[in-house]
Amino acid sequence: MKKTGIILCSIILMSIIVQVNAQKMETKVDYKGYKVGDTATDFKLKNVDNKMVSLSDYKNVKGFIVIFTCNHCPYAKAYENRIIGLNHKYAPKGYPVIAINPNDPKAEPQDSFEGMQQRAKEKGFTFPYLFDEGQKIYPQYGAKRTPHVFVLNKESGKNVVRYIGAIDDNYSDPNDVSHKYVEDAVDALLSNKPIALTSTVAVGCSIKAL
Amino acid sequence: MALMSLSLQGQNTKRKMSESSTISHIDRKVPVINFDKLETIIKKNDNKLYVVNFWATWCKPCVMELPEFMEVNKAYRNNPNFKMILVSMDLSKEVDSAVRPFILKHKIEADVYLLDDNKRMNQWIPAVDAKWSGAIPATVLYRNGVKLEFRESKLTKSELEKLIHKYL
Repeated sequence: MKKTGIILCSIILMSIIVQVNAQKMETKVDYKGYKVGDTATDFKLKNVDNKMVSLSDYKNVKGFIVIFTCNHCPYAKAYENRIIGLNHKYAPKGYPVIAINPNDPKAEPQDSFEGMQQRAKEKGFTFPYLFDEGQKIYPQYGAKRTPHVFVLNKESGKNVVRYIGAIDDNYSDPNDVSHKYVEDAVDALLSNKPIALTSTVAVGCSIKAL
Repeated sequence: MALMSLSLQGQNTKRKMSESSTISHIDRKVPVINFDKLETIIKKNDNKLYVVNFWATWCKPCVMELPEFMEVNKAYRNNPNFKMILVSMDLSKEVDSAVRPFILKHKIEADVYLLDDNKRMNQWIPAVDAKWSGAIPATVLYRNGVKLEFRESKLTKSELEKLIHKYL
């Protein structure tokens, strides 16, 4: 009887240890982040042209397409042309693209600021490509992978999150896309209609931070 | 048992491996499957603990954790109630150019499948776990079709062992 008690106790203790460890582990990745309807923070981050960029710099916009992306990730690369396309289509309509690299170059050397400058030049980015120095902004947004999109809508002076997720439903073949999630969301905002799909998930590269 | 768990191809295969390689590393097949098929593989009602790892050859944290996953697999693979399955997220067109060479080079002895279901990510990712953002690596434990654990992060050997010890 006593023995059973000891065994039971140690099993309980062990499971507590396991649980505590599991929680510890999750705190590493489980940032709260924004939900649709939350107000997104502004920031002041360095662009590839060495100038600082904030959302408040944009005076006559209806919102933003904020995309956490990077240089090294094959998913991010697969979407580069589509990101350029989004800015081309929606900046004139009031929803410019703001790209942010959330990765720490110490964890992923390809995602250095110099690497960003090079990539932006090679691809001819027509939108800011900002460096989240110190990795302070992406946890607030709750970005977890690259690419990860947050569509913000200006409402009473605030930048309200209206869509979180993937760009579309086929990273590997842009010619075989059935749902353009971000375009559908911004089109809905432009025509004052409810967004059909306010959040989506897709496989992406985990954000590299130390 | 270990041999049985590997998908070996027929007799008339080209032997390009070095002399020191064991037969288990020769011509490993990587079936390309959709999510419905994957579910039939990882959600069997056979009392086995399935350790399912989502990874890709280009994913650094995935590749970093794999050697320790293989050590754990080696320790448990003779246990009839244990099965490790690696689910590659590489492009299906790269199965022969990237995935197979990788598993041969790194002597990956767990079963490897390539999940080719890109257009339904927004369906199957939440089906695996409601909290999964889609970032890899991710590891899931199943038994008898029931999900026991889900981790969206790189796991160390001791973290993985602790998860397995809870159920084996």
